[in-house]
Amino acid sequence: MDAVVTSAAPAAAPVLVTRGLSLRFGSGSSARSVLTDLSFEVPEREFVCIVGPSGCGKTTLLRLLAGLLAPTGGETLFQGRRVAAPQPDIAIVFQDYGRALLPWRTVASNIALAFEARGIPKAEHASRAAPLLTKMGLSEHAGKFPSELSGGMQQRVQIARCLALEPRVLLMDEPFGALDAITRQTLQDEFSRLCETEHRTVLFVTHDLEEAIYLGDRVIALAANPGRVVEIIDVDLPRPRKQLETREHPRFLGYRHRLFQHLGHN
Amino acid sequence: MRRVFSGLAFPIAVVALWELLGQAGIASEDSFSRPSLVALALARTLADGSLLKQTGETFLSAIVGLVIAAALAIAAGTVLGLFRALERIATLTIEALRPVPSVALIPVALLVFGFGPGMSVSVVAFACFWPMLIVTISAVRGIDPRLIEVGRMLGFPLAVRIRKFALPAALPGIMVGFRIAAGIAVVVAVTVEIAANPRGLGYGMIVAQQSLNTDIMWATLLWLGLVGWLANWGLLAIEHRWLGWFWSARGE
Repeated sequence: MDAVVTSAAPAAAPVLVTRGLSLRFGSGSSARSVLTDLSFEVPEREFVCIVGPSGCGKTTLLRLLAGLLAPTGGETLFQGRRVAAPQPDIAIVFQDYGRALLPWRTVASNIALAFEARGIPKAEHASRAAPLLTKMGLSEHAGKFPSELSGGMQQRVQIARCLALEPRVLLMDEPFGALDAITRQTLQDEFSRLCETEHRTVLFVTHDLEEAIYLGDRVIALAANPGRVVEIIDVDLPRPRKQLETREHPRFLGYRHRLFQHLGHN
Repeated sequence: MRRVFSGLAFPIAVVALWELLGQAGIASEDSFSRPSLVALALARTLADGSLLKQTGETFLSAIVGLVIAAALAIAAGTVLGLFRALERIATLTIEALRPVPSVALIPVALLVFGFGPGMSVSVVAFACFWPMLIVTISAVRGIDPRLIEVGRMLGFPLAVRIRKFALPAALPGIMVGFRIAAGIAVVVAVTVEIAANPRGLGYGMIVAQQSLNTDIMWATLLWLGLVGWLANWGLLAIEHRWLGWFWSARGE
């Protein structure tokens, strides 16, 4: 298992590649195409955002990439190997944190699930969890149960659990979508900084195109019915991003303009 | 305190009336005895150890039968709850066997096990198995699919997902089934003793009744109610301790 990559490498090889990824439900005349012919790459250490209107199959796409669902056409390659089943190297942060945490386990114990999955001896759990708890601002809550925490805190626990897996790629399904605006912005900034300093490879799904531009190095726009890639934009905005300056940057507004049309405002 | 007193008022009145009717000779002593005599009989049978021995026999049958039924029902119910296809195959068998009255198995159990604990245990286990199975299936089926998905994402094999995710998530439901089954276990254990098995509290009551020791019969009945109430209370306490997270998750 590689630890978190911190040194800079010259060429960023794609960690995750999809080739003609398609998913259809049903067969014959009643068949419905959910995703069709999706091809894109997630290079190492890049923060890639996928944005699209609701119903374009964003969540389904993440489930395909994570190996939780099998495609009916095409394939996903993870480090050159076909993804056939879920694996801890591809972690996924679900939108509904309330359902993704184990209510009978404390915060520390929920995070320790990742260590259990990695076969790390129990004696090391506490020492390994400590820096994560600090990083995610959860130190004071380690002994609490999820039900005792706010939504933002619960989502921090889920993110910490995924980071504890030390995955090669982090898939995120609208992780901040259910939070209030202030909490959302705080988490956007904290998470963005964290990925920057640790050079995380992230695929982040959202329906909020401003969030996609704000966070991403690259934004992939999907259209609905059936879900397909309509545009890929490389985001050239200075980091660290700042809520006011970045969102008022002329290029930010330009990207927003370009992507707006794809989100099906009709 | 006042609530305890008002709760006790009715039973005290009934006992007083019972005593008065007995003293006055209106309630026949042959069938109803009298509270004072029943209390004496209770003290006597407790002191000579006969009541405790019978209690041990009855509750041992009930508990062993219950534990066997619970282990089998939780294992089968978890598998059937997780895999719909298996459940469809098993449904007909379950629905055909479930309505068989457990008491009707007494002749069979008698032939297979003879008199003794095995006979009681087997009938108790049969009676407790079905409600626990049904409740476990529905509790496992009701688990949030997201939790199972988290388990898959973390790369745990099926057996570990069942142990770490499915069983704890289904535990509150399973505990409800366990408490229902625990009540059934005592009822069936006593029934088997009354009907056929010469041991335990049920047999003690039959012997007392047939030898016209109505005070002992009533004392045994009273004792049975008391121990049953204590057992239920203890089970609730354990459940609260174990399932603290469940109540706290619901903000209770």
